[in-house]
Amino acid sequence: MIHFERTKLANGLTVIVHQDKTTPMVAMDVCYNVGSRDEHPDRTGFAHLFEHLMFGGSKHIPSYDEPLQKAGGDNNAFTSNDLTNYYLTLPKNNIETGFWLESDRMLELAFSKTSLDVQRNVVIEEFKQRYLNQPYGDVWPLLRQLAFKVHPYQWPTIGREISHIENATMQQVKDFFFAHYAPDNAVLVVSGNVDFDEVLTLADRWFGPIPNRNVKPRNIPQEPVQTEIREQTVIRDVPNDTIYFAWHMVDRLDPLYFATDLISDVLSNGNSSRMYVNLVQKEKLFSELDAYLSGDYEPGLFVVSGKPSNGVSLETARKAIERELDRMKQDLVPEYELEKVKNKLEASIVYGEMNYLTKAMNLATNEILKDAELINSQVDSYRSVTTKLIQEVSRQLFRPENCSVLNYIAKK
Amino acid sequence: MLNRTIQPPVNPIEHIDIVQAEKRLLSNGIPVHFVNAGTQDVVKIDFIFEAGTWFQPINLVASLCNSMLEEGSEKYTAAEIGEKFDFYGAYIQLIADQNQGFVNVISLGKYLPAILEVTENLLKHSVFPDHELEVLIAKNKQKFLLENEKVRTLCQKKFTQVMFGDAHPYAINNKLEDFDKVSREELIRFYKSFYHSGNCHIIVAGMVDESVLNLLDKHFGGNDWQQSPIKVPEYAICSDPEKRHWVEKANGVQSAVRVGKFWVPKTHPDYHALSVLVTILGGYFGSRLMANIREEKGYTYGIGSFILTLKQASYLVISTELGNKNVEPALTEVAFEMRRLQTEPVSENELETVKSYLLGEFLRDFDGPFALAGSFKAINDFGLDYSFYDNYLHVLRTITSEELMKLAQQFLNPEDCYTVVAGSKLV
Repeated sequence: MIHFERTKLANGLTVIVHQDKTTPMVAMDVCYNVGSRDEHPDRTGFAHLFEHLMFGGSKHIPSYDEPLQKAGGDNNAFTSNDLTNYYLTLPKNNIETGFWLESDRMLELAFSKTSLDVQRNVVIEEFKQRYLNQPYGDVWPLLRQLAFKVHPYQWPTIGREISHIENATMQQVKDFFFAHYAPDNAVLVVSGNVDFDEVLTLADRWFGPIPNRNVKPRNIPQEPVQTEIREQTVIRDVPNDTIYFAWHMVDRLDPLYFATDLISDVLSNGNSSRMYVNLVQKEKLFSELDAYLSGDYEPGLFVVSGKPSNGVSLETARKAIERELDRMKQDLVPEYELEKVKNKLEASIVYGEMNYLTKAMNLATNEILKDAELINSQVDSYRSVTTKLIQEVSRQLFRPENCSVLNYIAKK
Repeated sequence: MLNRTIQPPVNPIEHIDIVQAEKRLLSNGIPVHFVNAGTQDVVKIDFIFEAGTWFQPINLVASLCNSMLEEGSEKYTAAEIGEKFDFYGAYIQLIADQNQGFVNVISLGKYLPAILEVTENLLKHSVFPDHELEVLIAKNKQKFLLENEKVRTLCQKKFTQVMFGDAHPYAINNKLEDFDKVSREELIRFYKSFYHSGNCHIIVAGMVDESVLNLLDKHFGGNDWQQSPIKVPEYAICSDPEKRHWVEKANGVQSAVRVGKFWVPKTHPDYHALSVLVTILGGYFGSRLMANIREEKGYTYGIGSFILTLKQASYLVISTELGNKNVEPALTEVAFEMRRLQTEPVSENELETVKSYLLGEFLRDFDGPFALAGSFKAINDFGLDYSFYDNYLHVLRTITSEELMKLAQQFLNPEDCYTVVAGSKLV
């Protein structure tokens, strides 16, 4: 259970405070409700490129990192399809430096040409390092493209292609900033060794004067229901064949989300999970086998990926996975097995509550999703899932016409 | 009126509260160091054995032996062990590094009795079943092949080989055919020689009370898993006389680069000052290498310098991945930045920044039970005590630009460095 207090400034900025006096530190998380789903199809990768530019100086402060380091701080950021999250930690008596830095870049960036030129290159190198120069590096982009035909989830956060990043202009950068970076489109979370009143005073002082920007609600085209199985085969210079299945699943706020998440745990979380015990250990058909959710806020993907053992054909591998999924549809999961994955989830939630920064990030991302309070109700939501519901959701999920298959073949 | 151009006053970090690890001995003499901290009912127990690659007779034995510990014991099959851990939401983490083999367990305190019962059985009575071994070897072979497709792996391997010589245990030189040479008998022999009470110490962190210590004594304090003490083998470092090396990886769009040299051990009087120097060079986001090679030139997504301290040797390594055409320009800049530290004193402003940053890092290193345990291990492995950290704080508060420049002249000569590049040659 995480206790927090929440308020909203006049300009629309939500402020959340969680006190944890066991640490000498403070974490500050500023989460913007903008991700790669908000990009134009011809200008993908923009939200992420923008994250880099947020470190290139703001209206009144030429360098973000140096003053933070002077105050003993550390920071980082990430971009997802759904949001962009900036976080820093500081010794508690230097917390005001965090307010100063984060409020100035919410107010306005420096929009420096040099920074744009350099960060374009840095991001292109990141594109190469993570996607082009890694074995299996293009799997996610391929799967997303196969599963989504309309929704912007079809491209990865790094962007659809390098040229989109190369061609980014300063005008586009400015437009993006004023369209999405605003107090009324962000959440500020402060956790650690702080008091609510202290945070509120500082938030008023530094963030209060930033104008509300009347950010328009997003209007994203929804993905039409898939009506037949999709399949793609690619040949790549990798050591092993791999098969990927992706099924459309419910969104994060759907009550069925929790059952969906537990299905992936029953299948592959831990050495006693079904697919691991049956297909990796007993039958030795796979060397790696995983089931996981894409983690998107809007309806995302339930993915199963498997690397067949040496000498096992992709066809055999595919049948084996389908057999396990059929079992999920035909038979009720035993109570004990469901209890096990629920225990495991509950324990992992406790482990996550050990760290003040993790707590700040969870509060912020849940508030962007809908409500920070969700982190305290999730255990009950998972606990209330029944074996019957697991079966119903499996039947809904694992239909051929809901599925995209990617055969990733090793070049001989 | 709010002035946004001026940083709010920065307060120095004066008070640093370090919860020190306490020591107990189990009835059989196993040392237990424990850090009682945190607010969550969670306990992390690290069983540490001197059983790293340093001790293995042939490649892969140390890591395979370690991985096999959860694959079946006298009382429990691999599936049952997995079942127990999963049911209680606990984790077991098996790792073997160059010097040590680890069995790390994380559990909610309330389930510790059940979890330690299984852990005892797998530690004392592992049986190395054939079937599980076969599966593990097949899996690791595939992982090996995958890793070998990555330029960073190829580069790191070659780097350790040229630094230490192929036969040295700190050189990573596993080959595909090694997987076929490991026998079950060999693993059992290694297990019997190295995983026993006389070769073990334990570090515990979290909500650790008497009941946790009593449980440890109950399960691991007996004389039923003792073997004769081990003899530490000796190996000589045999560096390659050639400083520049190349590993070809066809059709890559990026190359991996390692530049480095041997370094002083943690016991050296200049160790702390040199850590500050290496941080300035490439140890944080505002470092010289990041500022020049990423933030000014955009050659790479990231570049950093690190000190790796192992029991028998330490080295400095600068590492990055970058577009093939950026390799040579970046190497020139690396040498330039090392030279600059030798010839120009670091400005007061930069020195203040790095000192404050490191003080903040220091606070983080002692924040929370797991961080506290990690900081204890970092001294305990080298026979040091907490005065190591007092000295560090002293150096951090008093070091001057002149001292740093002198140290750079002594320790940061570009021509002393090995350089390894793995990637595709430019045509």
